[in-house]
Amino acid sequence: MIVDVGAPYRRRLEQALGDEAQRTAIERATARLSDQRTKALTTVDNPRLRDEARAIRQSAIQNLPSLLEELETNLTANGCQVHWARNAAEATSIVREIAEKSGTRRVVKSKSMVTEEIGLNEALENTGIDVVETDLGEYIIQLANEPPSHIIAPVIHKRVEDISELFQRELGMPPTDDPAVMCAAARQRLRRDFLGADMGISGCNFAIAETGTICIITNEGNGRMVTSMPRVYVAVAGMEKVIPTVEDAVLLWQAASRNATGQNVSVYFSISSGPRRSGHADGPEEMHVVLLDNGRSRMLERGYGDAALCIRCGACINACPVYREIGGHAYGRTPYNGPIGAVITPLLADDPTSYKELPYASSLCGICRDVCPVKIDLPRLLLDLRSDLVESGSTPRSERVAIRAYTRSVESPARFRRLQRLARIASRLPVLPPPLNKWARTREIPPVPAKSFQQLWSDKREADRGESGE
Amino acid sequence: MNSSMLDARTDILARLRRVLDDPRQMFRGPEDVRRPDVPMTVTRAEGDPLTLAKVFGENLEAVDGSYEIVADTGAVLKRILERVRLWEAESDQPQDSNGSKSREILSWDPDELPLPSIGQYLAEADVDLFVPDDLHDDADRKRAAAASIGLTGVDAAFAGTGSVVLAPSKGRSRAASLLPYRHIALVPMSAIYPTVEAWLSTLRREGRLGDFVRDSSQLAFITGPSKSADIELNLTLGVHGPKQIHAIVFDDRQ
Repeated sequence: MIVDVGAPYRRRLEQALGDEAQRTAIERATARLSDQRTKALTTVDNPRLRDEARAIRQSAIQNLPSLLEELETNLTANGCQVHWARNAAEATSIVREIAEKSGTRRVVKSKSMVTEEIGLNEALENTGIDVVETDLGEYIIQLANEPPSHIIAPVIHKRVEDISELFQRELGMPPTDDPAVMCAAARQRLRRDFLGADMGISGCNFAIAETGTICIITNEGNGRMVTSMPRVYVAVAGMEKVIPTVEDAVLLWQAASRNATGQNVSVYFSISSGPRRSGHADGPEEMHVVLLDNGRSRMLERGYGDAALCIRCGACINACPVYREIGGHAYGRTPYNGPIGAVITPLLADDPTSYKELPYASSLCGICRDVCPVKIDLPRLLLDLRSDLVESGSTPRSERVAIRAYTRSVESPARFRRLQRLARIASRLPVLPPPLNKWARTREIPPVPAKSFQQLWSDKREADRGESGE
Repeated sequence: MNSSMLDARTDILARLRRVLDDPRQMFRGPEDVRRPDVPMTVTRAEGDPLTLAKVFGENLEAVDGSYEIVADTGAVLKRILERVRLWEAESDQPQDSNGSKSREILSWDPDELPLPSIGQYLAEADVDLFVPDDLHDDADRKRAAAASIGLTGVDAAFAGTGSVVLAPSKGRSRAASLLPYRHIALVPMSAIYPTVEAWLSTLRREGRLGDFVRDSSQLAFITGPSKSADIELNLTLGVHGPKQIHAIVFDDRQ
């Protein structure tokens, strides 16, 4: 692994920026995903799609408690077992208990960020259970023993040759640069796992309250396998995923597909409403749904309800100029990166000051807000998080001193002019004096013009007066 | 359910109610956001059944599927057999189950197909259909996994996206459209709706939508063959589900 997700923020950034191959891979892939998205949205009434998608998500959050109760009632009526978890520890112990009761030895999983969030794989593996990721990208990073670096394309940071090397090393495959050959090898191996696993685990894209239904979006078909082949199926759902109706789910599915990959719809949309019914040839015998809080109610409490509207399409991540440079692992030990990750990672963390660098991993250019299918005002939320950090006194002392000095300088015109003169001199120096040299190491300092705007303005007025005086 | 579970539920719901009741909340509830009476239809498709059949087929092709439109039901049987022969001759399929491969077709019960006579027709041509009773039974599972072609009907098809939707029930396994490397979907024209939204609104109007979703245990919306772009965005087909999906659309209006 090139970027060590456990390293301090600065170290992670240096590692990410220093890896030319990874930067190229990420830049190419995100640019292409963004282009595909743009193309897919020219054929639909996107302003209306955004309005309606946002309205669905907003009404869901406003009515969250009653929708969750309705969901629970309908899931139960469909024969599901519903579990509630306040935090990661409760959620993982619920799943462990289900695994124990059902004698589960092997689990197959479809790609799910929420199970990354709660560290489910590790929790199950610690009790001796074999956990197999079945999404091709997740399978690859599981082989590489790395976390995903993108919520839609988990292995976006790797090139074909990196993956080929990994398959040679881990699977004993002959060298190939043909993705179809690697894919076929994965299919054969994973097919045995699908047919032999005791339990399937998925996340949840949407949970339909009126029918008690868990919806998952996939392209490979592993989602259908995981929810259909093993005897036990467990869905872990962030509790904000609930929405009122079937029509809502179908609209959001289309919005998510177009914004994620530029497909009109994903290949598979599997919507499960309980275990198999009597007489059915396949489907799970038990279906469990774990409704997870893990910081989501706190997110609302702190006034960040806007972030809870997210449908995890990844459009903001692909568009973000910062993500394109640093990639997902630079955001640290979190499955959520890019602009939405910089917002929800600190909010979901138990300690509000952990991940305090992430709200600053943005230039606030605003493209994330412009592409968001539910119109989350991400730059606003990033600024709010920064302001929370300042108010709680969690910013570095040097920054507080610098801001205080700056405030004093701009309070009087004379002091401001002095500051400008100083900046002009400093910008001509080959190296900035400490502590500014450290700040300047990773930045290009723009040249300070010879004359300030104020000077240019008064020069112009004088010149104008001269002309009109003639 | 033990008491600590009950606690989590009570805790979470109480907390949410308190938070959402706060007047400073951005999304204060409970309250109804203004929602449109008729949700938007994202894709467009219109025309008579034959036009919709063509649009459906073209959209399916655009996502790497294939289709043909057959005029009369007699010809459908012939076309299915031809397709089976064509695919049997192709040898690129991975050996999905224990290295074995069978000539059996993993199928819905012929009575559940839009053309029940297909079973007998194929049997006479020496093609056997396998209809599993229980995929959790080892013998059934092995046989199902060895099949390289799946044969199903559809519950509905959507022209606007080239999608089909399949609901499992007795005699209609999920596996038939999932495990084999190739999938033939029989699509009567009467099952084709312009869009998924048109289908939803028909079921809703008839008061059947909720029960249909609940009772089928899992609805599978399928749009083209299984695919992935996980390896440097290279498109690869047949990752876990079928590599090919072929729709045989036929006119059943009489």
